[in-house]
Amino acid sequence: MSYVEIKDMEIAFSTPRGKFIAVKNINLEIGKGEIVSIIGHSGCGKSTIMNAIGGMVTPTKGTVTIQGKAIKGPGPDRGIVFQNYSLLPWLSVYENIFQAVDAALQTTSEVDKREIVEKYIRMVGLSAHREKLPKQISGGMKQRVAIARAFAINPDVLLLDEPFGALDALTKGSMHIELLKLWNLDNRSKTIVMVTHDIEEAIFLSDKIVVMTDGPSATIREIEDVHLPRPRNKKDIVNMPEYKTIRERLLSLLMDKVEIDATDFYKGPKVELV
Amino acid sequence: MKSQTIATDIELESSEVATRIWDNNLVKKLTAFGQSSAFTLGGFGILLLIWYIISKITTDALPGPYATLSVLWEMLKDPFYDYGPNDKGIALQLFSSLGKVFLGFGLGSLVAIPVGIVMGANAFCKKLFYPIVQILKPVSPLAWFPIGLAVFQSAGTATIFIIFITSLWSTLINTAFGVGSIPDDHKNVAKAFGFSTRRYITKILIPYSLPHIITGLRLSISVAWLVIVAGEMLSGGLGIGFFVWDSWNALSLEKVISAILIIGLVGLLLDRLFTLLEKRFSYAS
Ligand SMILES: Nc1ncnc2c1ncn2[C@@H]1O[C@H](COP(=O)(O)OP(=O)(O)O)[C@@H](O)[C@H]1O
Ligand SMILES: [Mg+2]
Repeated sequence: MSYVEIKDMEIAFSTPRGKFIAVKNINLEIGKGEIVSIIGHSGCGKSTIMNAIGGMVTPTKGTVTIQGKAIKGPGPDRGIVFQNYSLLPWLSVYENIFQAVDAALQTTSEVDKREIVEKYIRMVGLSAHREKLPKQISGGMKQRVAIARAFAINPDVLLLDEPFGALDALTKGSMHIELLKLWNLDNRSKTIVMVTHDIEEAIFLSDKIVVMTDGPSATIREIEDVHLPRPRNKKDIVNMPEYKTIRERLLSLLMDKVEIDATDFYKGPKVELV
Repeated sequence: MKSQTIATDIELESSEVATRIWDNNLVKKLTAFGQSSAFTLGGFGILLLIWYIISKITTDALPGPYATLSVLWEMLKDPFYDYGPNDKGIALQLFSSLGKVFLGFGLGSLVAIPVGIVMGANAFCKKLFYPIVQILKPVSPLAWFPIGLAVFQSAGTATIFIIFITSLWSTLINTAFGVGSIPDDHKNVAKAFGFSTRRYITKILIPYSLPHIITGLRLSISVAWLVIVAGEMLSGGLGIGFFVWDSWNALSLEKVISAILIIGLVGLLLDRLFTLLEKRFSYAS
């Protein structure tokens, strides 16, 4: 039995213009300790699927279970990094993390909680910015605060919605390493589901890559298994034949749209050159 | 040789630029201040002129600026005198009014903020209470006065009651709006990390709605200050409103107009006070 199981899931929203089916016929099995990426064009329901696992939305059809138990709302066994960071603007970097830790870890002592917060602020490299408000830091730094907040509650399942999107390539690379370090430290028992737009990132990190069709009524188009040996090294894997095969496959699944976009761009309003 | 000259030239120029920028900032600030002062003074000048002309036309039925301002000066020279219950200095009258205003406004806020929070957080309560708010909000303070008298059997308490009942609506509506507009993003954080109700209220609900609540309080205090004059005219006793009524009965329009100027000024100060609070507690996300 898989750790996380999504069966025949449909999620519809009621809108002023009637029922809107965001995703349907979603079937996905995630094993304990697996890293799974969801990839697809924007608006295809990636965040919606994450929210269903996180317990933030309830499926209109089908089921989502963790260890065989149906999900009833959010819980501290799952840590979420929201797509838009969702920091509280009136709390400092430190307090944003501390309030979440303090709420989620109810049996931990105050001293231990403070230590945990310190540790994860250090991990994301924000020690020098701990007293700053979210408006005083960059988008990438906000994203790191959101990551630290989700990691700090030490959840069994990490749900990361475009967690590294706003980061520059260097920071992104070191966050990848941190993520894998954490996963290794925990004997690879943490299950990680993440949404990304970055094909290289998905291949480097994942055991499985879920490719979505376009919305509305989006569904899973294909699931790619990544068998590259771990620990992986960015420099080495790019030369492996399997890496190239998967990359080609993902590109061809996602690219047709991109090419249309490119031609659209050229058909765009012409600039008169004088 | 030549390059050296150029270098010094550049240095000279840049230092000149620096002083000029510095001067410019100061000059800008000074001119801005001067300009706004000039506009204020200009406006008052025009008002004084119109006032003067009307008082001339009405052959001093409306006292002119000079007569009024000298009476005002007399009032301000000894604001704390106390010649018995019906003859007290303007400051004592003012403090009495302010005391009643803050009492009624304070009690009103104590009711308005919690009720507003409940209405904003709970759609059911909102549907239940909003019609009541809409019906009671536009009722004139004067209409409440007999109710206050009947219930409390005291004119003083009735005055505080009408301030209470008329000043609570703005705070209530603004609080309900603030709480009702908490973004889903913030609620999701509370949901995802299992915030207790207490933590949700202190770390999300209050901080988010505080600027709205303070805006409500600012509107409420102006209503309270507006109402006190009418209330005291009905209730008598001590206070700036009764002072206006008393001066009218004593046929001293100079005193009435002086009181109006003071009322306006205090109202402005109250508004400024709450505007400062608003700025202090607003955050930009
Ligand atoms: N609460 C909601 N109400 C109505 N429509 C929604 C809601 N949340 C998401 N949607 C719609 O569902 C679709 C999928 O959204 P989302 O999961 O955020 O896409 P993605 O994360 O892949 O970009 C979009 O068309 C979006 O407009
Ligand atoms: Mg999304």
